[in-house]
Amino acid sequence: MEREAAELFEEFKELTASEFFRRNKQMLGFSGKIRSLTMVFHELITNSLDAAEEAGILPEIKIDLKRLDKDHYILKHTDNGPGIPEDYITRVYSTMFAGSKFRNIQSRGQQGLGCSGCVLLSQMTTGKPAKVISGYKDGDTLKGVEMTFKMDVKKNKGLVLERKDVEVQSTGVSIELHFKDVSYSLSEQGAFEYIRRTMIGNPHAKITFRDPTGHKYIFKRAADIIPILPKEVLPHPKGVTADDLIFMAKHTDKRRFRSLLTSNLSRMSTKRVNEIEAITGIDLNKRPKDMKWEEAEQIVETFAKMDFMAPPTSGLIPIGKEQIEKGIREILNPEFVATTTRKPKTFRGGVSFIIEAGISYGGDSGRMVGEQRKAEIMRFANRVPLAFDQGSCAITEALKSVDWKRYGIRDMDNAPITIFVNIISTNVPYLSTGKQSVAPEPEILHEVRQATMKIARSMQKYIRAKKAAKEEAMRAKVFENLVPVIIREAAVLAEKDVPEYDAVLAKVTHRAKYEGVVEDE
Amino acid sequence: MNKKDITVNKLKSLGDIILEDVEKNNVPAIKVPSRGTSNIVYDDEKRYYVLGDRYGKRSLGNVKQISKMAQMVYVANFCKDLVRRGKTATLREMYYVSEGWDVDFGDQQESNIVGEDLEVTLGMTREDLGLMPEEDGASVYGNITLQDDDVEINALKAGKSGYTISPTIDEVNFVDHDVKRVIAVETMGMFHRMVQESAYKKFDCLIVGLKGQAARATRRFLKRVNEELKLPVYVCNDGDPWGFHIAMVIISGSAKLAHVNHQLATPDAKFLGVTASDIINYDLPTDPLKDIDVLRLKELSKDPRYKDDAWQVEIKKMLKIGKKAEQQSFSKYGLEYVVETYLPEKLEALE
Repeated sequence: MEREAAELFEEFKELTASEFFRRNKQMLGFSGKIRSLTMVFHELITNSLDAAEEAGILPEIKIDLKRLDKDHYILKHTDNGPGIPEDYITRVYSTMFAGSKFRNIQSRGQQGLGCSGCVLLSQMTTGKPAKVISGYKDGDTLKGVEMTFKMDVKKNKGLVLERKDVEVQSTGVSIELHFKDVSYSLSEQGAFEYIRRTMIGNPHAKITFRDPTGHKYIFKRAADIIPILPKEVLPHPKGVTADDLIFMAKHTDKRRFRSLLTSNLSRMSTKRVNEIEAITGIDLNKRPKDMKWEEAEQIVETFAKMDFMAPPTSGLIPIGKEQIEKGIREILNPEFVATTTRKPKTFRGGVSFIIEAGISYGGDSGRMVGEQRKAEIMRFANRVPLAFDQGSCAITEALKSVDWKRYGIRDMDNAPITIFVNIISTNVPYLSTGKQSVAPEPEILHEVRQATMKIARSMQKYIRAKKAAKEEAMRAKVFENLVPVIIREAAVLAEKDVPEYDAVLAKVTHRAKYEGVVEDE
Repeated sequence: MNKKDITVNKLKSLGDIILEDVEKNNVPAIKVPSRGTSNIVYDDEKRYYVLGDRYGKRSLGNVKQISKMAQMVYVANFCKDLVRRGKTATLREMYYVSEGWDVDFGDQQESNIVGEDLEVTLGMTREDLGLMPEEDGASVYGNITLQDDDVEINALKAGKSGYTISPTIDEVNFVDHDVKRVIAVETMGMFHRMVQESAYKKFDCLIVGLKGQAARATRRFLKRVNEELKLPVYVCNDGDPWGFHIAMVIISGSAKLAHVNHQLATPDAKFLGVTASDIINYDLPTDPLKDIDVLRLKELSKDPRYKDDAWQVEIKKMLKIGKKAEQQSFSKYGLEYVVETYLPEKLEALE
C-alpha cells in the first residue's frame, strides 16, 4: 500500500541531528576503520588542546588505547584542562550542534561533529555508554564527578545512567569510550602518525600514548610557551556570503542594517555604506530583520566590485618559525631543519592567511617505506594535521610544482626529507566537508611555493656543504692511503730505502683542500 | 748491456724519479706521453704513425691521478720481477695478481691502460716488459731455422700448418734460412693452398698465414725478417677495404699502437693484391660493395697512410666498379692458377 506524502514527511520531521548522523556516519568523517579512529583522536585531542590553552594551561594529554578483540578497542583519553562543570558534561558529549555561532576566529576547528560525534560512534558500534570523569573548579573548590551516560539520539541529548562524586587531584577531563569497526594503524593516515604530527604543530603540548601492544610513547614538550589565543576579528566584506549577512541580521541587536554593516564587518566605513546604498538602491536604514535574501546577495556582489583595505591580520596567530623548528627537532631529530613564517596575505580578496613551512633533512625525516626513506609532506591547517585527501590539497599541489632538482634534490620521492606546511586563517578554505584538504586558491599556492622555496635554498646550502665535506674527507683518505703505498713501491722499484715523506704528504693533503674549494666554485 | 738489463734499469729509473722528488720535498709527478688522437701523428719520414710530443701527468697531488700512479709503480714492480726471472705473464694474469695489491683496478680494461702507460713512458713494448698478449701469432711455412730457448725449429718440418709465431717472438733467434722473400696471406685457406702447390719452392719464400688482422707478434716477426734478414715482405689479401687495411697495418702500423710502431711497422713491406685492377684484369668473380664497404673505402682515401698515388687510384677504382673479390676467387681458373699464374705475374711487376 502506498504511503501518504504527509506520513513520509512526518518521519522526516522527526529526524534529529543525532539521528540523521547515526544513519550517515560517513558525514562525520567516520568512513573506513583507520580513518574513524584517527578522527576520534583528532576530536578529543583538539578539544583538550583548545580547553587547556583557553585556560592558560600548558596542555598535557594521556591516551591509552587497549585492544579487547579484533576491531574492538577501549580508548581512555585524559587531559589537564580546566575540566567541564557537571551540568555541561552531557551537553558537550551528547548534543550535536551545541552552541554553534557565527565567529570569525582562527580555530583548530572540528572536522566532524566534535566530541559528541565520538560518543555517537562508540554507541553505534558497541552499544556501550560513555564514562567521563571531570575535575573542575567551582569558585575556589575543586570538584570531581564521574558520569556514565548514553546519547538519546532521538532527543539529541544525554541520558545519564550513573553519577557519583569522586576525589580528583587536579582539573581535567578523562573520557572512556568503547569502539568497534575501527582499526589502529601505523600508516600515514593512522592514529599514531596523527599524534606525532600534532606534536610538531603543537610543540607546547605533551602527549603520553600507550598503544594496543602496551608500548608507551612519551612525546615531550619542546617549547614552554602557551600560544597566544587568537582574537576574533570582524570578517572582511570580501570574505562574507549572502548567507552570512542573513545570519548576522538575525542575531544582531542593531536597529538598522547600515549600522549592522559598519559594526559587523571590518574596513566598512559610513562612506562605504553610502556608496553601497547608492549602487544597489537598497534602503539600508531598514531593520536588519527585514533584509531579504536577494538584497543580501546584491550587497555581496557589490562588495566584490569595490576596493577595500586588506583585512586586519591581528586575528592570525602563527606557530612561529622558532616553535616549528623546536617541534621538528624534537620529533624528527633531523640533521638539518629550516623553517619560515610568511607575512599575512589574503585570498579571495578578503580572507587573510599566513603560510608557515619547515623542511627537515636526515634523522627521522621522511617516511620509512620498506628499507628506504621517502619524502613526506605534513599538512596542517591552524596547527591541526590534515591526514586525508592529500592528492587534491593546495599544499600538495604547490609542493609538487616546485622543481626540486634546482635545490639539489635529484629524486624528491626517495629523499629523506619531511616538509611541513601550516596554513593559518580565520577561514581555511577547505575543499570538502571532511576538512582534510585546502582549496587551491592562487594566492595560497603562491605563498606555499615561496615559503618552501626559501627554506629549500637553505637546505640546498646544507646538503652542498655536507657533500663538499664528505668529498674532502674522501680525498684526504685517498692521499693518506696511497702516498705511503706509492713511495714504498717506488723504493722497491728503485731498490733504495724509503725516504722521509711527511712533508710531501702534508703538501698534497693541503693541496687537496685547496683544489676542493676551487672545483666547487 | 743486454735487453733484459736495459729494461730493468729503465723500470728502476721510474722509481728513482719519484724518490728524487720526495727527497727534495717536491710533489712527485710522472710524465706520460699522451695517446689521445690529437697526439697521434703520421711521420712521413718514418712512414708510420708516431706519438706527438704532448704529455699527460700522473701527479701524487691529484686525487684522480694518484691512483693511476700507484697502479703504475705496482705494475712496474711486477714487470721488473718478471724480467728478472725471465718469465712472462698475460695482462689477464697481471689483473688477477693485482688483487693482492694495495690499489685496485676497476676492471681489466683499466689494468691494460696502465700497462700501455708504462709502455709509452718507458718507450718499451709490453713484450719487453714481460707482458704477453693472449693470442698466438701467424703460421709460418718455409725453410727457416729458429731457436727458441734451446730448441731449434725448422718451419718446413713443423707440420703442414707450419711454425706458429709465439707471443715471445723477441726471445727467438733466427739461426739459418734459405729463402729470398716472404709472402703473407690473409686467410689460412690461402696458406694451405700455397703449401699444397709448393709455393715456398717455386718462389723461394716463407709463407705466412696472417689469420686476419695481424697479431703484434706477427708484425714483430715480419719486421724482424725484413730488417734482420733483409727479406722483402709481400702481403696478399682479399680485394676489399678490410684486406687493404690488414696490409696497411703491417706496413705503416696502427694509430692505437703509435707508441710502439717503431718496433712493429714494416714500411718496406708491399701490398701485392688483390687490387681493384686485379679484379678487372683477371675478371674475378665478385660481390657488390656493401654500404659499410663504401664508407670504409672513403675513410681510407682520407687516411694519410693511403696518400700514395697507387693506393688512391685503387681505392677510386674499387668505388667506381662497386665490386670486391676474395683472394680465393682465383680458383675460378683452377686451384693452381693463383700460384702458377697470378703470383708470378704480380711478383714480377713488383720486383
